[in-house]
Amino acid sequence: MDKRHPSSFQQLEKLGEGTYATVFKGRNRQTGEFVALKEIHLDSEEGTPSTAIREISLMKELKHENIVSLHDVIHTENKLMLVFEYMDKDLKKYMDSQPLPPGYDSHGGRSRGAGGLPPDTIKSFMYQLLRGIAFCHDNRVLHRDLKPQNLLINTKGQLKLADFGLARAFGIPVNTFSNEVVTLWYRAPDVLLGSRTYNTSIDIWSAGCIMAEMYTGRPLFPGTTNEDQLQKIFRLMGTPSERSWPGISSFPEYRQGWQVYATQDLQILLPMIDQVGLSLLSGMLQLRPEMRISAEQALRHPWFAEIHQRYGGIQQQVVAQQMGQQGLNQQVMQQGPGPAGASYGTSMAQGAY
Amino acid sequence: MPAGRPARQRLAAVTNENDENAGTTRLTRAKAAALSTTSDAHDLPKKALATKKSATNVTGTAHPRKRAALGDVSNVAKGAEVVDGKEKKPLAGKAGLVSKAAQPTGIQKPSRTNSTRTILGPKDRNTAPHELKRPASGSGVVGNVSKKRNVSGSSTKAIKEEETTENLAPSSRTTKTTVTVEIESNMPAKKEFTVKSTTPTALPEAVEEEEVPDLDKEDGDDPLMVAEYVVEIFEYLRELELTTMANPNYMESQGELEWKMRGILVDWLLEVHTRFRLLPETLFLAVNIIDRFLSMKVVQLDRLQLVGVTAMFIASKYEEVLSPHVQNFRHVADDGFTEEEILSAERFVLGALNYDLSYPNPMNFLRRISKADSYDIQTRTLGKYLLEISCLDHRFIAHEPSRIAAASMYLARLVLERGDWDATLARYAGYTEEEIQPVLLLMIDYLRSPVVHEAFFKKYASKKFLKASIVLRAWAKKWAPYYLGEDATTKSAKQT
Repeated sequence: MDKRHPSSFQQLEKLGEGTYATVFKGRNRQTGEFVALKEIHLDSEEGTPSTAIREISLMKELKHENIVSLHDVIHTENKLMLVFEYMDKDLKKYMDSQPLPPGYDSHGGRSRGAGGLPPDTIKSFMYQLLRGIAFCHDNRVLHRDLKPQNLLINTKGQLKLADFGLARAFGIPVNTFSNEVVTLWYRAPDVLLGSRTYNTSIDIWSAGCIMAEMYTGRPLFPGTTNEDQLQKIFRLMGTPSERSWPGISSFPEYRQGWQVYATQDLQILLPMIDQVGLSLLSGMLQLRPEMRISAEQALRHPWFAEIHQRYGGIQQQVVAQQMGQQGLNQQVMQQGPGPAGASYGTSMAQGAY
Repeated sequence: MPAGRPARQRLAAVTNENDENAGTTRLTRAKAAALSTTSDAHDLPKKALATKKSATNVTGTAHPRKRAALGDVSNVAKGAEVVDGKEKKPLAGKAGLVSKAAQPTGIQKPSRTNSTRTILGPKDRNTAPHELKRPASGSGVVGNVSKKRNVSGSSTKAIKEEETTENLAPSSRTTKTTVTVEIESNMPAKKEFTVKSTTPTALPEAVEEEEVPDLDKEDGDDPLMVAEYVVEIFEYLRELELTTMANPNYMESQGELEWKMRGILVDWLLEVHTRFRLLPETLFLAVNIIDRFLSMKVVQLDRLQLVGVTAMFIASKYEEVLSPHVQNFRHVADDGFTEEEILSAERFVLGALNYDLSYPNPMNFLRRISKADSYDIQTRTLGKYLLEISCLDHRFIAHEPSRIAAASMYLARLVLERGDWDATLARYAGYTEEEIQPVLLLMIDYLRSPVVHEAFFKKYASKKFLKASIVLRAWAKKWAPYYLGEDATTKSAKQT
C-alpha cells in the first residue's frame, strides 16, 4: 500500500471539474515534479464508485507511452486521489489554441480555433491515438469514452489516452454491457441504435470522429439527442436500410420513418484531407461495426507509410523511440510548467445521454 | 419427432444458462436504471427477488429473504427441517434455487433470533457434519442424462440442432435460426437485435490429426469474438494470471480461521450470488479478492463474513453493468454489519490489494476451450460446475485459473465420453493431458467426498444445470478409485 499522503503534493490550480471528480494541477513536494491530481468524491451511500475502481485497476495494468500513467492512489476517509503524470492540455484545448492559418483571421468571420490542425500533426496524433487504442484492445480493455477532451497532449507533441472511468475489461465473447457509454458526439451508430453487444469497434468510431474534427476544428456529428445524433450521422453517411445493413431493423432504437439520406462524399466536408487519409477515415467511420477497421489494421494503413518508412519499417517500439528524437519525445515526466487546462477526463458522463 | 426432443431440452438449458450469464432480469434491471433515477436502483434487486419467488410459487412476503450466513450454516436444524418438511427428493424437479427460495420463513426467524450471525462461529459448532440430502434418485438421473446423450449421438438431426444451440452460447443474442425461437421467447424480444447472420455454421468436426485448425478464422465476421485480438489477449491473460494468484498457504498465518470456514463462506456467497443474479465472473472475482486479501491480512473470525460480503460488493462493481446497492449486501448478511462497515471494509480491501482487480477470470478460459469443443452445451455446463469447485475447495488456490478451466473441460468431456483430448483442445486450453492431471485428481477427489457445500451442490442439482452435481458425484463414486488409487475410498474428505 502506498504510504503517500495527500500532503505530499502541493495543490495548484484547478484544471477541470466533472460529475464525479475534480482535477488539480499539483506539485510533488519532494521532487518538484508536476502532476495531475484527480480527486474523486466518495459517495457516503455507495462508497468507491465503480468507475474509479475500474479506472484504477485498468490504468495500473495499461503501461504504455500513449496512455497517461497513473503514479499513485491515495485513499483517505472521504476522498480518493489519483496522481497522474502531468500533461499540458487536452486535444480540445490544443485545437482551440491553434493559431489560424494565415489569411483566415483577416476575414474576421470565423472564430478562433475554428481551423484545423496541420496535416503532419494530425497524422502524428492519429498514429499515437491508434497505438494507444490498439494497446488497450490487445489487453482486452475497451476505453468507451474517446473524445478530444480525453486525449492529452504534452509539449513534446505526445498524445496519451486518459480518463478510463468508463473503460472496462472484456471477455471473449464480449459480454453485454451498458449502452450508456461514450459521449454522444463520438458514440458509434450501433450503440446509438441500442446495441449492448458492441466491442472494440466502438473506440474506432470515436477515433474516426476525432480525426475529422482535427481537420475542421469542429466536431463531426454534434448531435443534441440520441435521435438527432443518428440523423446527423445518416445525413453524411447515408441512412442505412435492411439492405445496406442486414439486421438493422431489429435494433431497439430502429425507426421506420427515418428520413432517407444518400451517402455523401467525405471529401466535400473535408476538402483538406488527402485521398489516402480519406480511405483510412472511411474505414473507421463505417456504420456497421463489423465493417470498421481495427486499430491494428489502421496502424498498418498506407497513410502511415511515411511514419513507418522514415524509420525503416522496424518494430513499433523502435519507431516510437525514433519518433522521440523527432520531437515526439517519450520521456515520461513532463517537467516545465505548461499552460493550465488538461482535463483528465473530468467531463466524463457529461452528455452521456 | 422424438429426435428433436433432447435437443429441446438442451435448449432449455441454454436459455437458462444465458439467463444466468446475462439474463433477463439483468437486462431489465439495467434498463430500468437507465430510465429511472439512481434511487430507484435500490429496489431493483428486491424486485428481482420478488419475481423469483412468485415464479416458484412461494407465497410470502416480497422481502428478500435475509439470512445470516453464519446462522444458516451453523444451524443444522435448518437442513433437517427442510428435508423433513419437503418432499423426500428435494433435488428432483425444482430443486436448487427453488428450494432455497422456498425455505419456509419459519427458518429464518429462529436463525435470526438465535443471534447467530456467526456463520463462521466457534469452530466446534460447525464440525457437526450435516446429513446430506442426497437424492435417492441419483442413478435415475444419470441414466436420464446418458440417454439424452445417446439420442444426440444417434440422430444427426439432433446433432445439427445441438450445434446451432451451441453456437448460441458465445453469441447468444446474435443468431437467428428456427431453433432460437424458444430461446427468444424467454428473453425480452429486444435482446436479440444484433442479428449476426454470419454465425459460423460449419464448425469443423473434432480434428483427430495433429494439425490444429485456426478456429478463430471463422470468427472474422463475429464482432463479439474479437478475432483480431484474441490470440494476443489470451497470451496476455496467461501472463496476468500469475500475478493475481493468492498464497495457497495463507491459512497458516491466520490465527482464528480455518479452511473449512472459507468453504462455508464461499458456499454462502454462492447463494448470495445466485439471489442477486450476478454474472459468473463476479463470483470468481469475489473469491479471488477474498483469497488475496487473506493472503495479506490477518482477519478475525467475526470479520470473515464482512470480508466475503465486501469482496462480492467490490466484484459486482467491477464486473456488473449494474451492481446491487450496498444495503442489499447488508441485508443479505442479516444486518450483521452496518453499511458504513462495509464501505470502510471496501476501502481497506481495495487498498490492501492495491486496487488490482485484473484477475483473469477462469470463465474466459472455459469459453475459449469450449470453442474447440464446438460449444457443446452439456460439456460446458458440467465444466462450469467443475470450475466452481475451485471456488469452494481451497486446494485449488495453488493452481492457475487457466489450468483449472482446462481440467474442468477435460473432466466434463471425460464424464460425457466426448473423446480424446486432441491437439486442438490442448492448443485452445493451453494444457496437455499431463499438465491437467494434478487439478483433475483434485476435482475427482472433491466430487467423491461427502458433500459439504450444500448451496453449491443444490444449485447444480437443478435441471437447468443438467443436474451436474448429482451426475458428477455419481460418476466420481464409481470412478474415483480408478483415478485416485484403491485406497482413495478410505481416506475421505478432510479437505474442506
